[in-house]
Amino acid sequence: MTVESEYVIETQDLVKIYKTGKVKAVNGLNLKIKKGEIYALIGANGSGKTTSLNMITGALFPTSGLIKVLGQEIPKNRRLITNYIGVAPQDYSIYYDLNLEENVRFFARLYGMKKAEFVPKYNELMQILRLEEKRKALAKNLSGGMKRRASIACALIHSPKIVFFDEATVGVDPVLRTFFWEYFRSLKKNGVTLVLTSHVMDEAEKADRIGLMRAGKLIAEGTPDQLKKEHNSSTIEEIFIKLSEGVIVDE
Amino acid sequence: MNKKKEMEFKPKNPTFSLQRTLAIAFKTINQFRRDRRTLVLLTIVPVITMLVFGLALSGEVNNVPIIIENNDVLYSGINLGSNITTVLEGDNRVTITYDTYVSGIDLVEKGKSYASILIPANFSQSIAHMLAFGNVTPSFYVYIDATSPTVRASVLGAVREAMEESIGDKGINLVQTLAHDGAEFTGLDVGIPAIIAFELIFLLVIVGVITVTREKIQGTQDRLFATPLKSSERLLGYVIGLLLIATIMVAIILIFGIFVFGAKVRGNAFLLIFAALLFGLAHVFMSVFLANFAQNELQAIQFAPLTAIPSMALGGLLIPVVGLPVWLQPVSYIVPLTYGINLFEGIMLKGWGFKELWVDFLVVGGMCLIFFVLAVISVRNRMRD
Ligand SMILES: Nc1ncnc2c1ncn2[C@@H]1O[C@H](COP(=O)(O)OP(=O)(O)OP(=O)(O)O)[C@@H](O)[C@H]1O
Ligand SMILES: [Mg+2]
Repeated sequence: MTVESEYVIETQDLVKIYKTGKVKAVNGLNLKIKKGEIYALIGANGSGKTTSLNMITGALFPTSGLIKVLGQEIPKNRRLITNYIGVAPQDYSIYYDLNLEENVRFFARLYGMKKAEFVPKYNELMQILRLEEKRKALAKNLSGGMKRRASIACALIHSPKIVFFDEATVGVDPVLRTFFWEYFRSLKKNGVTLVLTSHVMDEAEKADRIGLMRAGKLIAEGTPDQLKKEHNSSTIEEIFIKLSEGVIVDE
Repeated sequence: MNKKKEMEFKPKNPTFSLQRTLAIAFKTINQFRRDRRTLVLLTIVPVITMLVFGLALSGEVNNVPIIIENNDVLYSGINLGSNITTVLEGDNRVTITYDTYVSGIDLVEKGKSYASILIPANFSQSIAHMLAFGNVTPSFYVYIDATSPTVRASVLGAVREAMEESIGDKGINLVQTLAHDGAEFTGLDVGIPAIIAFELIFLLVIVGVITVTREKIQGTQDRLFATPLKSSERLLGYVIGLLLIATIMVAIILIFGIFVFGAKVRGNAFLLIFAALLFGLAHVFMSVFLANFAQNELQAIQFAPLTAIPSMALGGLLIPVVGLPVWLQPVSYIVPLTYGINLFEGIMLKGWGFKELWVDFLVVGGMCLIFFVLAVISVRNRMRD
């Protein structure tokens, strides 16, 4: 049914209870994300954004609920979609004891890229991410923002169709961030879907749609304009503060 | 529009990929190339151990099995031969079995015994003649395994003391024939095979457990789940990378051992390399399995002494297995180092081949298989719960 669906990502009543915690980290999440959309997941610390992304990308086993990515059931068929998704996790997930180039090349090899495909794409990404000077630097010696950009390079090297950026622009300076958004838009134009989480509200505002999570659930969703109208606010930040107010999700 | 998307998305059926496997292998090697301290550890430690063990491997051991054929007969009321064997029976350095000298030699060559002793038929008579006329020199024959200086020293020490006790220091000619085509080694020669076996265990467990554990702590393991990498490719990649590191390690030990410390390799060099790789492989699999139980690099390193200390005590590194208390000897059969030392000593010191060592090869091969299964289970792409 869903292969013909217009959504590239769908979740239905997704729930996650970690073995080591009693919290329902995700508690009945229903997400539908269209092809070519830029979707921003926002919410207070501990509201379940990372947990949700990890389940959707196939790194974490859901407690219950349904996930479909590109029409394939996750986690059952997650192997079929690995070539089409790119992930930049919240905790960088790059090899600190390899240099930047070795990191990117390692992931390129995992995606079966040939040298002739790798070199131009790699050069392009280094230029866009402003990492050209740092190609041979050990990942552990990169600055925080550069580590983040290295992680983005590893996520984009194989030209995926869906990209997951968990706090992708944390530590990236405002000038570069603006520049990245231009790039994100150009990816979107080529049909790439972007799912990102962020704590920077004017960044979230640049997304096509925003989902606000609280205690593992979506409590508000829509385009930035829709949300502003609905909640009678002039900024997303206001809405965020109003809706997440006083909520302590962590024990 | 739906049609279009369907055409764009072609699910890829995962098949084994050599490229992905090698990506993991190169990555593993690259990571260690960068890790200076571990590199130094891998190079310096074997050389230092060689020196230390070379010096320390002297002294005596107990319960060395020997064979005695006593052909001596009563001469004017005394049988010095049986006096000697009686003293030897009371000496805990040796354990005596009575058999013919010839079958004793055979047992020594097979490594089942360490010395075969022949007390000739006219021994008491020749002693009496020597004492009376001084015109004969009585002989006493020992066919001995001289590849282990500690074992040899124990046997000869016991025999000499027994003679002195029963006859007094009377200039008896102790005829020694060295087993294994006359192979005779110093403490250092003997140390090197044991050190190869020991270092392979000690360092490979450190390196292996660290490699796998690092993946966990850097968060990269989860990241790998989102790639097409299969668990079989990941395991094979680790194995190729780690075995390459092991090969370099063995090469360093051999080069230093042979060219700097003058160690000898009497057996087939290719068999030696094969044995080292097989033994290394078993421990690569073992370390992938052990990595299950380590949450961080510190814990990973703690596994090394955990495996090394029982190995050192029971596997024949400090004391040859025959020198252990009898009740403890069976325990040494479950210590992998025992078989490693058997293999490397057999090939290097005794010039043995597959014919003599097949049991040890079989055990190490079996170990490989068991730890392979455990390693496969360990790296199964198990998602987090
Ligand atoms: N591995 C884990 N084991 C147990 N509980 C966890 C684990 N990871 C997260 N949690 C809990 O799950 C809940 C959701 O965490 P999650 O990381 O998904 O939040 P988040 O929205 O990404 O927060 P942040 O904005 O801080 O990144 C929290 O209560 C957290 O404590
Ligand atoms: Mg998070």
